[in-house]
Amino acid sequence: MLEIRNLHAQVAEAGKEILRGIDLTVNPGEVHAIMGPNGSGKSTLANIIAGRDVYEVTDGSITLNGEDLLEMEPEDRAHKGVFMAFQYPVEIPGVSNTYFLRAAVNAKRKANGQDEIPTQEFMKFIRSKIELLHLPQDLLTRSVNEGFSGGEKKRNEIFQMAVLEPVLGVLDETDSGLDIDALKTVAEGVNALRSPERSFVVVTHYQRLLNYIVPDFVHILKDGKIVRSGGKELALELEEKGYGWLEENLAGAK
Amino acid sequence: MSSAVLTYEARYEDVYRHAQSLAAGGPDWLRSLRSAALAQHQTLGIPTPKNEEWKYTPLRTVAEMDVRPAEPGSALFDVTLPSWSGSKSRIVLVNGRFDRNLSEVPAVPGLQVSSIVNALIESDGLLTLHLGKIASTEDHTFAALNTALFEDGVVVHLSKGAEVPEVLEIVHVTEGDAMIVAPRVLIVAEENSRVQIVETYVTNGNATSVTIPVTEVVVHPYANVEHVRVQDEAVTNHHIALWQVHQHRDSEYRSYNVAFGASLGRTDQNIYLDGEHIVTRLDGVVVANGDQLLDNHTKLDHAKPNCNSFEIYKQIVDDRATVVFNGKIFVHQDAQKTDAKQTNQALLLSPTATIDSKPQLEIFADDVKCTHGATVGQLEELPLFYMKQRGVPHEQAQAILVYAFAAEVLELISNDEVKHNLEARLFTKLGIED
Ligand SMILES: Nc1ncnc2c1ncn2[C@@H]1O[C@H](COP(=O)(O)OP(=O)(O)OP(=O)(O)O)[C@@H](O)[C@H]1O
Ligand SMILES: [Mg+2]
Repeated sequence: MLEIRNLHAQVAEAGKEILRGIDLTVNPGEVHAIMGPNGSGKSTLANIIAGRDVYEVTDGSITLNGEDLLEMEPEDRAHKGVFMAFQYPVEIPGVSNTYFLRAAVNAKRKANGQDEIPTQEFMKFIRSKIELLHLPQDLLTRSVNEGFSGGEKKRNEIFQMAVLEPVLGVLDETDSGLDIDALKTVAEGVNALRSPERSFVVVTHYQRLLNYIVPDFVHILKDGKIVRSGGKELALELEEKGYGWLEENLAGAK
Repeated sequence: MSSAVLTYEARYEDVYRHAQSLAAGGPDWLRSLRSAALAQHQTLGIPTPKNEEWKYTPLRTVAEMDVRPAEPGSALFDVTLPSWSGSKSRIVLVNGRFDRNLSEVPAVPGLQVSSIVNALIESDGLLTLHLGKIASTEDHTFAALNTALFEDGVVVHLSKGAEVPEVLEIVHVTEGDAMIVAPRVLIVAEENSRVQIVETYVTNGNATSVTIPVTEVVVHPYANVEHVRVQDEAVTNHHIALWQVHQHRDSEYRSYNVAFGASLGRTDQNIYLDGEHIVTRLDGVVVANGDQLLDNHTKLDHAKPNCNSFEIYKQIVDDRATVVFNGKIFVHQDAQKTDAKQTNQALLLSPTATIDSKPQLEIFADDVKCTHGATVGQLEELPLFYMKQRGVPHEQAQAILVYAFAAEVLELISNDEVKHNLEARLFTKLGIED
């Protein structure tokens, strides 16, 4: 489904290389966790998959089901089923959550040759999803993320993902700042979407999340490279030993 | 002085001849009002950008038109007249003339609506009391020309304590080419009355005339007036307006200046706060695209103590358009405890769009709270990316953000229908579907 080959990227303005040759294959139905120290490039990778143009890809490729993602605008990627839950969800004052979501849903339907969703049907659909995330109904009428608590913002991301039903969900630290109940809720939201056709890339610092969203693979990103990949045990090992262990391990390997 | 005016007299000959004939008719007070105004206009001329007040508003095209006096408009319209509130009743003026067929005056106790022609026939004392007394023509050449030229107009009078439950809509239509159209409005809200007015300026098709409206408003003690002004003329027309308000003690006047139309659109809104405990709002939503130039000048005179004024201007400029904002606040020596707050924000959507904004606070009292802030910005990258990531196409995402920026002011309009219909119009002006 998602194929990343030898991806090199830098900040378009600064010209500093952040990703230095990433290879990653995500097959349909798989969940891949990406861990790694602060500043290693996890969010950069997520943003590049989603198409944020402050990053410039200098080498390599990203394809989704064989199609070249790097050639597409962010909205076209979204229409193809790419969804990124932001590490820091953006506040948009004056635009209601419902209005925004309806615009998003209808744009996707239009791109896929479908008619707009009737308002009644849409409202019913999003109400069912908002219950799934245990979010208060009034978040629907409030401006996108404005004045939401940290946890509400993160849950709002998963709520939007549930509404948009992507084929690839990239979750960037959606678990950070969540209390234990919210964490379970978010995990339930994600697990409810898991299917043989749908894949996830989950960026996290904590193995805790992976107890709830059990990954098929865990990758460790460091200085813009995947330095280690393994099964879900790798997360446990990392939690126990820290990144220092990784340093030694890598040094020893050389 | 002569270098600061354009030569245009020969092209305005017909108009002046007509003004002279108008100045020869009617009651004495009107004749002298008109002659004085014509003289003032001719002294002031049509200013060049050397005149500080017209620095950013090039009047060359207006001076270079071969103009004639406004003719009566046709009775058949291919425009659907706007009704922002959805109310059936509305007052329609075509080329400055009260149109009886198109108008339906709401029947509300204490509300009198009359054409100026009729008010003159009935020697309505309100006219002698206020017409031309509120709007100062000495320093506004087009207001002076309006006073010399208006053929008719409308007088809205609210008696003491009158309350108008529905929105009172006044629609001005300009129709035709190369005419000087001089709509005239007088609104008098007596003590303790309450009304919401929406005054709209449109054109029938692509008119290429010059609309020079003058609206005078008197707000008596304890009266509460909300006044929305929508300038939505075709982008082929010119629009140069004076909107003058006189507020008495304990009155509240909330105004919203919505400017979408005209190739050159200039509105001067002046409010004189002549008493204590007055509340004033003068907000604006300005959207200019293509080659439009929209210039709004506001002037607040805080003449007495203990008054509050709030002003928020939201301006959106795209393509090669220019938007000008000049906000004057004068706090007179007497006006202690004045609380005046002015904000103007501009959003530039294209590298060739221009904004000139100039706040101008002159404070002669020492115990006052006056603030002003101006920002010019572009749409932020991150919210745009966020919306696009969710699938909203770039253009639409941009429009939604622009809309949200402007909606902050439109939200303040108290009538929901008016608010929603204006928001919908904002959408089409921005080129997106609701
Ligand atoms: N827009 C940008 N401008 C300048 N530098 C950037 C930009 N985005 C990322 N960087 C830099 O690139 C590096 C990687 O950042 P990134 O946000 O991808 O890290 P991360 O792994 O997500 O870290 P964290 O765990 O703290 O979220 C950092 O050094 C960061 O400062
Ligand atoms: Mg990050």
